[in-house]
Amino acid sequence: MRLEKLPPEMAKRLSELECPDFKTTPWVEGPPLPERRVAIVSSAGLVVRGDRVFRGRDPDYRAIPGSTQANDLLCSHISINFDRNGFQEDWNVVLPLDRLNELAAEGTIGSVAATHYSFMGATDPVQMVDGAREVAGKLKADHVDAVLLTSV
Amino acid sequence: MSALGHYLEEAGIATVAIALIRPQAEHTRPPRALWVPFELGRPLGPPSDAAFQRRVILAALGMLAARGGPVLIEDFPDDDPREAPDPAWWPPAHRHFAGGLEGAALADAMEAELRELAPAYAWSCAERERSTMGLSTLPPAACGQYLAVWLRGEPPASPIADMSPALLLRFVIDDLKAFALEAGITHGTPSSKQLGDWLWNETALGVAFQALRRDCLAGDDERLKTVAAFFVPALRVPAV
Repeated sequence: MRLEKLPPEMAKRLSELECPDFKTTPWVEGPPLPERRVAIVSSAGLVVRGDRVFRGRDPDYRAIPGSTQANDLLCSHISINFDRNGFQEDWNVVLPLDRLNELAAEGTIGSVAATHYSFMGATDPVQMVDGAREVAGKLKADHVDAVLLTSV
Repeated sequence: MSALGHYLEEAGIATVAIALIRPQAEHTRPPRALWVPFELGRPLGPPSDAAFQRRVILAALGMLAARGGPVLIEDFPDDDPREAPDPAWWPPAHRHFAGGLEGAALADAMEAELRELAPAYAWSCAERERSTMGLSTLPPAACGQYLAVWLRGEPPASPIADMSPALLLRFVIDDLKAFALEAGITHGTPSSKQLGDWLWNETALGVAFQALRRDCLAGDDERLKTVAAFFVPALRVPAV
């Protein structure tokens, strides 16, 4: 986002939003991209139709099976101050599953994870730690070694 | 989002974040982040543009091969071409002059507008084989009826077992926004600003959302005051 396009007070609020102050700088390397298994983790409050929608600043997460169809994906992010039109027209704007599947089919990446995950981005990140560790365990069980994080 | 990068990387999984707000990424210092200049809500950029989205993903995933970390932040060079307005786009319904309407008159105008938008919404669903309506679990007509009862001044009981009337009102408003905006993308390539200007400046729905926000915030019910904050985007709240 080019913050200069927003009203100054909104740009200031976004740029100065309190963020966790991490003391560590973890860094994991891995195989070349054609050998990677890639998952998407989104903070868009995505939920599969029929699952529990995010109702507020929930600290937990929702699973999105790779077999999910576009008609079954909803956005229940609590914030209304970001564009929804892009997602309404094309889910790949937020969850680029079709693009990942295309990259896997042509061999640019190794494979696509069986399951993807979504958190509620308006939640204090510190409260997401337990959920993130749980997701990490599930990703490892699925042999995922690369995660694309998408925010809104 | 950058915080999730920390947590997952600490657990042994390589990550790369697509970041929309660069100062937040700079502060959180994730292992890898690709800043993109797109509007909030569009981390992959333009809808229905697979080639552009592919470039964004490849730029992000390409950072996984980079050395020199920890903490790499790179910038995607191109803007979203869909931010530009489409001069050939036109709204999916005639303008409903609802400004100044209140209560039952506003409810009637809103419901008439929903009926007028229904064919475009149905076309959009068929064309895209999807809809993003569903948070309330009510069908479009029932969403309209629920909103109309609120506008008429008789807050209804929630027909959904585990949703309070206030929570259901929030989700119904989310669903009706999706209904209208999906009806608006049946042709052309409108920008989000075009669609937003139409919804908030030219529709009875927009007037209804503003009226309900105003009335809920002015009332005594703390639950309604809380949910009313989620009816109208900050950029569309009238200046006082």
